[in-house]
Amino acid sequence: MDESEDVPKDFIKLKSEKLSVEEVSELVVSPYCGAVSLFIGTTRNNFEGKKVIHLEYEAYTSMAETEIKKICRDVRQKWPSVKHVAVHHRLGLVPITEASVIIAVSSPHRAESLEAVRYCINTLKASVPIWKKEIYEDEYSWKENKECFWANSEK
Amino acid sequence: QVVVLYFARSAELAGLRSETISVPRQITSLQLWEEIVKIHPRLAVIRDQVVFAVQQEYVLLGDQLLVLHPGDEVAIIPPISGG
Repeated sequence: MDESEDVPKDFIKLKSEKLSVEEVSELVVSPYCGAVSLFIGTTRNNFEGKKVIHLEYEAYTSMAETEIKKICRDVRQKWPSVKHVAVHHRLGLVPITEASVIIAVSSPHRAESLEAVRYCINTLKASVPIWKKEIYEDEYSWKENKECFWANSEK
Repeated sequence: QVVVLYFARSAELAGLRSETISVPRQITSLQLWEEIVKIHPRLAVIRDQVVFAVQQEYVLLGDQLLVLHPGDEVAIIPPISGG
């Protein structure tokens, strides 16, 4: 393996298959980095007293990938020492406790990757065109992130 | 002629995911919304909660003048919930 080839990379994937924490963290591992930070978004089984059966996600795929690329670019501007960034988001049906999103960032020291992961998930929730539908026992609900500036929060 | 894409709640209300419509080359985002609601009146209920993405750039519904080209993509974007 040619170690001088370790150029910073962004790994962005939207897929309907089960996400793998091992796969995503291995994407960002680097011999130059002492830290890999991870965020996993999982599916809760309840909302306001209602039992959640599962979630369904859909996306404006081409724009979602572009918006995630913008987030990666911002991460590198804010934390130049960040090495690799991976964002995997699941689409379609996601059962309870399975991961909807996994974000991994590597950096030489831990402060940058921890902050970058936080920034990624917060910004993703505010700007990436992906929608989640919660399916309950006898109804469903399209969720709205509080980070979304055009959501009508009085609903 | 632009391609309108519907997502999430807007796709449920309109009953479809995409279609091609004819609109003037120059139109405000609010006027564009009104053209779409003429075709799918059920969309009116979400007017205060949506934005557009025109060629993948977010645009609020309002006075912003859009310059559209044939084949441009206009997506209706209900409140997002990724992550």
